[in-house]
Amino acid sequence: MKIGETIQVAFGSLRANRLRSALTVLGIVIGIFSIISVSTVIAMLQRSIEDGVSDLSKNTFQVQKWPAIHTGRISEKIWNRQDITIDHFNQLRARLPEAKYMAAQMWRGGQKVKSEWVSTNPNISIGGITPEAVPTSAWEIGEGRNINQNDLDYATKVCLLGDELAQKLFKSINPIGQEVRVAGMRLKVVGVFAPRGQLFGESRDNFMAVPLTTFQNEYGKYRRSIDIVIMSHGKQDYNDTIEATIGALRAIRRVPANEDNDFEIVSNESLISQLNSMTQGIKVGSVVVALIALLAAGVGIMNIMLVSVTERTREIGIRKALGAKRRTILLQFLIEAITLCQFGGIIGIIFGVLTGNLVGMQLNAPPIFPMDWIIAGIMMCVFVGVIFGTGPAYKAARLDPIEALRYE
Amino acid sequence: MNRYWFELKEGVLFSLKAIRVNKIRAMLTTLGIIIGICSVSLMSTAIKGMDKAFQEGISALGSDNIYVSKWPWFDDHEWWRIRRRPNITVQDFDKFQSLAKKPIAMAPTIISMCKLQYNDSYIESALITGTTAEYVKTTNFEFASGCFMTGIETDGARNVAVIGHDVSENLFKFVNPINQEIEMNGVKFKIVGVLKKMGSNLLGGFNPDNQVYIPLGSAYRYFVHRFRSIDIVVRAANTAMVKETAEEAEEVMRRVRSLKYNEENNFAVNQQEGLTSRFDKVVMVIKIVGFFITGLSLLVGAIGIMNIMFVSVKERTKEIGIRKAIGAKRRTILTQFLSEAALICLMGGLIGLGLAVLASIALDKVLPTSIQVDTILIAIFISLITGVVSGFIPAYSAAKMDPVDALRYE
Repeated sequence: MKIGETIQVAFGSLRANRLRSALTVLGIVIGIFSIISVSTVIAMLQRSIEDGVSDLSKNTFQVQKWPAIHTGRISEKIWNRQDITIDHFNQLRARLPEAKYMAAQMWRGGQKVKSEWVSTNPNISIGGITPEAVPTSAWEIGEGRNINQNDLDYATKVCLLGDELAQKLFKSINPIGQEVRVAGMRLKVVGVFAPRGQLFGESRDNFMAVPLTTFQNEYGKYRRSIDIVIMSHGKQDYNDTIEATIGALRAIRRVPANEDNDFEIVSNESLISQLNSMTQGIKVGSVVVALIALLAAGVGIMNIMLVSVTERTREIGIRKALGAKRRTILLQFLIEAITLCQFGGIIGIIFGVLTGNLVGMQLNAPPIFPMDWIIAGIMMCVFVGVIFGTGPAYKAARLDPIEALRYE
Repeated sequence: MNRYWFELKEGVLFSLKAIRVNKIRAMLTTLGIIIGICSVSLMSTAIKGMDKAFQEGISALGSDNIYVSKWPWFDDHEWWRIRRRPNITVQDFDKFQSLAKKPIAMAPTIISMCKLQYNDSYIESALITGTTAEYVKTTNFEFASGCFMTGIETDGARNVAVIGHDVSENLFKFVNPINQEIEMNGVKFKIVGVLKKMGSNLLGGFNPDNQVYIPLGSAYRYFVHRFRSIDIVVRAANTAMVKETAEEAEEVMRRVRSLKYNEENNFAVNQQEGLTSRFDKVVMVIKIVGFFITGLSLLVGAIGIMNIMFVSVKERTKEIGIRKAIGAKRRTILTQFLSEAALICLMGGLIGLGLAVLASIALDKVLPTSIQVDTILIAIFISLITGVVSGFIPAYSAAKMDPVDALRYE
């Protein structure tokens, strides 16, 4: 008997018992549905976290004094690290041809910005930057110009405004060339960033940037560490660039060979992997709970297949008497079980992805089509079919044809 | 009435026999229900355990407490305006204390963190609370040994400390902590009391287990900047008085601050209600998601039962025909198949519960769980209902069979 014929027989028997097949399939549908919907929601949340974890653009990493995520108290060793200074930045820049862009920046939050007419709430972040911070942070200049080396060298009183801040301060007036006041500074607006939109309901356009030197003149230069952001030329030399940076910076900061780095390298990957390890527990837990329903469905399949074998004892007897091999019978029932599972699995996947996306949308996450989980779902169906179908199929295959024919 | 009883009895006997004949089938069907009931009751136990831990934690801190602070607990919009509020000072507290009549106890508190050390063992960062002797009256603290600081000790800002259970576990393995000296950021403090374990990790900073209580004056001297705002803990006489006491606290604080009638409060009166309702919201989400997912597995079990009952009805078509031909009523047939479904479910429910009890004993190490009587009753009830609901359609289809057709069935 050919495989094609086996499949036909399996389908025939499924069609003959419509109600029974439908109920069995429903069990699998629910099992797969629960797994796929849960994992879709998790995947959506995770992606929105990954998107938002950092404003860095591709192939970019950051060098800073403090670890990005830490729990508990920061150890004294970290407290005692020397600050990263502009001097370090300049030396690093001279030594590092691997970097495509390299920028230094410092931030200060909670600033109140005033224009001639309006003053904002004191919740504006202000960054002291070097010109190349615009590409490394994936910002774009919407109007006007970026700050330049001249601004940096002479600490000119100029600034760039985030889109939302510019709207707030200047409404319908063109902000370029206007004056704003922050802390003790009077700054001329030379450019406005292109809007970047919201993330987790927080605006990302509510900030402004000034030349790093201007920033340091106002807020202080000493006992403050700057962050260095570096973009490599491409993905392939990303890791090389990190290595080169570590080497160069160790030399610049005169770290002895037997000591650990006295700075941190923060990349999107390292942030994401730290976040992942934090959410690992939730992920595993919810998938395990969702698996329980699939287990119950598998038991249902086994039961129905046993019934099916008992009902068709005579059929099996006849087929064996006519020369069907054990293998053929085994395959017939196994394929029946797998078909049931597969059918339920596909329906379950469709509903699961839809529901997961609906729930995810309520949480403001972008929609997702979790290919890996869909493949996993289909594999699970085959797996469940084989695991729970083998018992009954083996029982059928082992029947003695004489006994089976005599069965009433 | 007697007839019904007889029919029910006979139905149960029939179904017991049917179950015994198809042992494997009944076992597999039961397994579906076992999985469902076990996961649902485990989920409810876990949620109850969380609730219980939270409630216990709250009641250890005193459930009728009101906190007068600079910052509201759950409303940090426009923080730049709240930031400008004057700090609550010890002088404010003194005035408050002399004016407030309704509270049965009140105490100033200030929180900081420091490193604790005793010989070789140390805690890198422990929460310390500076307060007065009256603080213990705002809580329901129980002491494993020693007692709280006395008025003399707190007024004189002596270097004495009361430590929570976890702190004592971590620092003192084999020594009785009472009268030992620990170093807090290098300053020596004598331990006068150790608390019993009573808090809950769900409460974060409100967990007394990992706190150290010292006199307010000592906290100011060693750990806290002079210009930090204190919190005033106020205990109402009982739960019914909480609202009144909170209102009085607001009025009194306005007098302390000499606010005019048209000025806004420049302080916040925080109630635990806020904390509880926050927690309830989180629990609600967990409940919905948890019961939805575990409920699905019960549903799958129910579908399995329905399926098997259909098979069972079909297999016994002839039997049904004969019984009907010799005078069995629809009701009788219905009872027979319904009781079969209900019995299978009940068995599954009981076994599932047994497994859940075992699992919850294991779980007890993480959460203070214990399966309650009501959980057991509800689980049994649910399993019965599942059986009846999922068995109804097959049983009904059996009951309404035409005896002639049924007898002719091959």
